Amino acid sequence: MLKTDLIAKNPMGAFSRDAAGNDVQRMGLVMARPGLGKTAILVQIALDSILRGKQVLHVSIGETLDKTKVWYDDILNDISANAKQEDMADLHLEVSRNRMIMTFNASTFSRPKLEERLNDLIYQDIFRPSCVIIDGMDFSKVDRKTLIDMRDLQKEANMSIWFSAVTLREAQSETVVKHDMPAPCDQVDDLFDTAIMLQPESGDEGKIFLNVLKDTTGCVAPGKSLRLDPTTLVVWGSCF
Amino acid sequence: MKKDLEKVRNIGISAHIDSGKTTLTERVLFYTQKIHAIHEVRGKDGVGAVMDSMELERERGITIQSAATYCTWKDYDINIIDTPGHVDFTIEVERALRVLDGAVLILCSVGGVQSQSITVNRQMTRYKVPRVVFINKCDRTGANPKRVTAQIREKLNLNAVAIQLPIGLENDLKGVVDLVTMRAIYFEGDNGEIIREEAIPAEMQAEADAARETLLDAVSMFSDELMEAVLEGNPTEEMIHAAIRKGTLALEFVPVLIGSAYKNKGVQRLLDGVVAYLPAPREIENTAYDLDKNEEELVLESDPSKPLVCLAFKLEDGRYGQLTYVRTYQGTMKKGDTIVNSRNGKKAKVGRLVRMHSSEMEEIDEAGPGDIVALFGIDCASGDTFTSPDISFSMSSMHVPAPVISLSIKPIDNKAQGNMSKALNRFTKEDPTFRTFVDHETSETIISGMGELHLEVYIERMKREYNAEVLVGAPQVAYRETITARAEFNYTHKKQTGGSGQFARVAGYIEPLEEGEYEFVDQIVGGVIPREFISSCDKGFAGSLAKGALAGFPVNGVRCAINDGAAHAVDSSDVAFQLAARGGFKEGYLKAKPVLMEPIMKVAVEGPTEFQGAIMGSINQRRGMIIGTLEEGDYTVVEAEVPLAEMFGYSTILRSLTQGKAEFTMEFAVYRQVPRNVADEVIAAAKKAQEKK
Repeated sequence: MLKTDLIAKNPMGAFSRDAAGNDVQRMGLVMARPGLGKTAILVQIALDSILRGKQVLHVSIGETLDKTKVWYDDILNDISANAKQEDMADLHLEVSRNRMIMTFNASTFSRPKLEERLNDLIYQDIFRPSCVIIDGMDFSKVDRKTLIDMRDLQKEANMSIWFSAVTLREAQSETVVKHDMPAPCDQVDDLFDTAIMLQPESGDEGKIFLNVLKDTTGCVAPGKSLRLDPTTLVVWGSCF
Repeated sequence: MKKDLEKVRNIGISAHIDSGKTTLTERVLFYTQKIHAIHEVRGKDGVGAVMDSMELERERGITIQSAATYCTWKDYDINIIDTPGHVDFTIEVERALRVLDGAVLILCSVGGVQSQSITVNRQMTRYKVPRVVFINKCDRTGANPKRVTAQIREKLNLNAVAIQLPIGLENDLKGVVDLVTMRAIYFEGDNGEIIREEAIPAEMQAEADAARETLLDAVSMFSDELMEAVLEGNPTEEMIHAAIRKGTLALEFVPVLIGSAYKNKGVQRLLDGVVAYLPAPREIENTAYDLDKNEEELVLESDPSKPLVCLAFKLEDGRYGQLTYVRTYQGTMKKGDTIVNSRNGKKAKVGRLVRMHSSEMEEIDEAGPGDIVALFGIDCASGDTFTSPDISFSMSSMHVPAPVISLSIKPIDNKAQGNMSKALNRFTKEDPTFRTFVDHETSETIISGMGELHLEVYIERMKREYNAEVLVGAPQVAYRETITARAEFNYTHKKQTGGSGQFARVAGYIEPLEEGEYEFVDQIVGGVIPREFISSCDKGFAGSLAKGALAGFPVNGVRCAINDGAAHAVDSSDVAFQLAARGGFKEGYLKAKPVLMEPIMKVAVEGPTEFQGAIMGSINQRRGMIIGTLEEGDYTVVEAEVPLAEMFGYSTILRSLTQGKAEFTMEFAVYRQVPRNVADEVIAAAKKAQEKK
């Protein structure tokens, strides 16, 4: 009951499934300058898959295991604030079962390493993610080749991969108007199916908007905009 | 004896297993002239370290029980508790932390922050213990104190800043640079007892300047005076020491010292650090509950003239009779004084009073606030509070986890039988996580505790110290039963066998209870069950919890409510209502969808990255749920939750999977429902075992 409700109400569902509820695999990107809620958005996208019984691998670069876990716990609590306590315990357990967190140092993470880990999990039948979240990769240091490899991996394994990227502050304002990617992602925009940008409303730091810059899967119309709750960084309630 | 309380330090030394705690303590005792020769933990001289006083500890090279030791350094009195590093013995660590004012957290300069360090750190945070870090083993290949300091900040979430830099590392470790005095310090002589101070080597000057700036930036937050002095460019040593101390006491700063206890480097400076930065007893707020004033919480004062309050934190039943380690918080305890155990009101007389130095002791006449001493011949349990007869205070109770594993033991002969009871009697008094009972159906003695090693150690000690050889059964998981639905019952107990009969009817419901083991609810109106029999019903339900009808395991998390019933003027009795309640519980229980619960352990496996796949596979095969992995260079940690039932013998399997290069720790996390297929097996096995009886 609680779960179906949560799935139905999650506006981020549009970034992982179509109107009929079928998974739509993609390369996705969430961009923002630091502190606006990239991780929160990624966690909400992950939760949509997890609650539908799919498995999600959350790769966290430069962040600890505990902190990543806390993101999930907090957001789950926020979005199901009125739920009964015993239902929540089951929900948290289910989320832990369908989620695996891998943390890496910025220097140890690489595409071959990720592939090796994925193979470990899949061949031993430990975990089969339908979605991989890669949070904290430094896009200013990533070359195009790496992302092409990632895209190949995404297609081969038939799963979604979502990235977060920190944008440069000065690059934001003018480029977004054209629905183009801001730096440093502007050189690789063709590799992504979906791109989201988080932005504070100009002149009002309290309001944060989620703008869809691009979506080639047809699930969401580019140009759509949603508002984030600035304290919890959660998007909730209204649907696309 | 008038003692300056400002010059007392009660400290603990805790860390991950094999980080060198015992070696370090041994060096401390040597430099404070408590012992006159150094024996290595696994030394060739066969003497072993002094702190490892139990024979078994010396043989295995691990410290099982914390021994309290007293020493003096530069006219400061230091009480040291050497604590065990293995998770199975965490109760010892927790108890030690409860009575300490400050702690030294030892980390290995190669291994860094390992899972056990995280557990210990969490405990220190729980008991608000200010700490300094000592990065040990800087002489080892691969030593990297800088990396370890970064790990302390990241993984332990502590504001840790180095106050020393190493001069050379690994084999070339020569000494340290003190960033407060900006001098190079070398430790020379056979045992590092000669300290030579010099100017910082020229090639290290720039590095030292930068590190000092980082240190000053961090500590000037705690002192306006220092901040001003830093801006003006003339901070003094005293100002820096004071600021470090202030930050440390406020639990907002952790000074990091380095060295190698084994190579006798840096230990004296650590002692200086303990004296300079860790709190005196007066600087820590300790509270107690006033039992006369409805358990009102009050702050104890470290005043020797106030009424006495002390806490028994450890018992030992040795060759001198029962030895009780106490920490005094307030007042003075003198030989011949009468003290009262506030748990049961029993009075006792203070006989011999001693200060412990591992297994040797020193007679004293009185103990003041902040002292850690041992008493003879006082009968109590650990965790009891003793006070002067005129007050009735109780210190807050300590957190004691429930045991998760048990096994049956059987003495091999009559002589062993007697010795075994003596041993068990002592162990259960000393260690609240170790429990024992006799299963009446099988007449077997069952012992239970926190892990395989925990129980193994006690069995070994029974054999060595009490000459009690026992046959050991296979370890059993402490399963529990609980219900998942509400169910009604209406039971009549009736017996008419000549003479006075028995009659009682009890009706009501049982339902799952979210928190706690058991709750009784009385909803009887109109006196259908007379008042005097209500408590009989409660007793009857409570008695039913010991053995569930599903598989005979204890039942937990049940609310039993009665709302109707009937009594007979002559035939109703206490016993009749107890039996009726038992019957009612039985009737409702199987309808209330009972399930089996099992202990789930939080497991952390650490090892080289190349084995990550194998490690994850092994956890997956054990019904484990992998929470996540942490990868740093060539080193990886896999965190998982695994049912205890699947963890037996895991160390052997892990060793063969990883060529002995990985290790794991585990601690109890939570009770969770056993999956259907597994539960069926467990229930079948339990029923079979019952039939056998």
